[in-house]
Amino acid sequence: MASYNTNEFRSGLKLMIDGDPYAIVDNEVVKPGKGQAFNRIKVKNLKTGRVVERTYKSGESVEAADVMDTDLQYLYNDGEQWHFMHPETFEQIAADQSAVGDAAKWLKEQDMCTITLWNGSPLLVTPPNFVVLTVADTDPGLKGDTSGGGGKPATMETGAVVQVPLFIQIGEELKIDTRTAKYVSRAKD
Amino acid sequence: MLSTATITDPFIESFQTRYIPLIQTMPAEYYYLHSSPEFPMKRLLAAGSGSIYQIAKVFRQGEAGRKHNPEFTLLEWYRDGWDHHQLMQEVEQLLNELLTPYIQLGASCFMSYQQAFEKVMAINPHTATRDELYACADKFKLSGVLDKSAHRDRFLELLFSHAIEPALGIEPETGKACICLVYHYPASQASLARVGQENGVAVARRFEVFIKGMELGNGFHELNNAQEQRARFMADNRTRQQMGLTEHPLDENFLAALEQLPDCAGVAIGLERLLMVMSQTEHINNVINFPFERA
Repeated sequence: MASYNTNEFRSGLKLMIDGDPYAIVDNEVVKPGKGQAFNRIKVKNLKTGRVVERTYKSGESVEAADVMDTDLQYLYNDGEQWHFMHPETFEQIAADQSAVGDAAKWLKEQDMCTITLWNGSPLLVTPPNFVVLTVADTDPGLKGDTSGGGGKPATMETGAVVQVPLFIQIGEELKIDTRTAKYVSRAKD
Repeated sequence: MLSTATITDPFIESFQTRYIPLIQTMPAEYYYLHSSPEFPMKRLLAAGSGSIYQIAKVFRQGEAGRKHNPEFTLLEWYRDGWDHHQLMQEVEQLLNELLTPYIQLGASCFMSYQQAFEKVMAINPHTATRDELYACADKFKLSGVLDKSAHRDRFLELLFSHAIEPALGIEPETGKACICLVYHYPASQASLARVGQENGVAVARRFEVFIKGMELGNGFHELNNAQEQRARFMADNRTRQQMGLTEHPLDENFLAALEQLPDCAGVAIGLERLLMVMSQTEHINNVINFPFERA
């Protein structure tokens, strides 16, 4: 089984801790002038997103998590699972609700997403940072208001609800930042 | 400097280098780069130098991180005829003078190792059993870091470095940086310090200085009993063997000089860490021109 020695610890390294996959967020060497050295790490649970602290004796080995990121194209949702495809090998992978989570509301067919695989199965689905979505529903726009000062909710084609400027109409294509769930601009053709 | 021998401390690894004579008929010899200038300085003191100081580059294997660089700078000095209490006062004065133009310091504090433990976790580090220390580690979410069978000093080091040290050198009421000196470590952690009785407990006449949760230096009321020092070195080597590390040859030049070492106290201050405090930076790389990654 692959493992990492504490002296290989660095941000981003994936470890198995208490049966769950974690990614190192921060690694600090705690070495008294006299005495035993430790590595104190902050790790993020890749299933729950929770960040915890752990300490290891320096020189110890910790089991590696078989976790890798891969870029796949989103195909469709069959009601239970979300299906993705590798653009070159055409290999298909299905992810369930627990892996897709909040990303579901940003998934648009044909878009490229990052799928984090753990032991070959989808663990996390990360949508692109920016997506272009069509407005499915919103209150009628106010003619002539281009200031963007006010705002109103708009429901996008994927179901996501985003605050948009008052002048936005149903049917328009908008660029949205998925990390902040914020409107960026009208999509430019 | 280069030396034929090095320290036996199980938790400090020296760099070793090969000396190749110009006329290559003689075999190459191995030398160590010093991890602190302590041994040769004590040889000078034994030869009658009187109080001395030096600023030296020192080298330690494996120590790289936010507060460590494998090559760093020590200011080390010895006071002829002084004990560790006098030297602690001088360390406090010097750091105060050096730092005052750069940062606002809170009131300095002096506390024994025992007081530090009692304050934070209400145990006596000199008398607590290993089981009590294990339970204490559990309380601070440090269970499983060490085996239950580990030496009690390892538990003390774990608890000190994780639960006590981060708050040392920070004035509790104001959050200001301050100079904090911790003294009288367990006799088992004496290293090169004398052991003496304090309130019926044998303690090492050793101190460390902390600012903003970071150790800046270590000092001793220097042991000058060669026989006892040799026994400690040999005990270190036994520990090294148990840990699967190579044993180190004893520095016989140092041991021979030790009998003539006058009553003195010595301390070493890490200058990069002092610069980190002065310039209020969080990473040692910010005060080194060519840190390890770019060396």
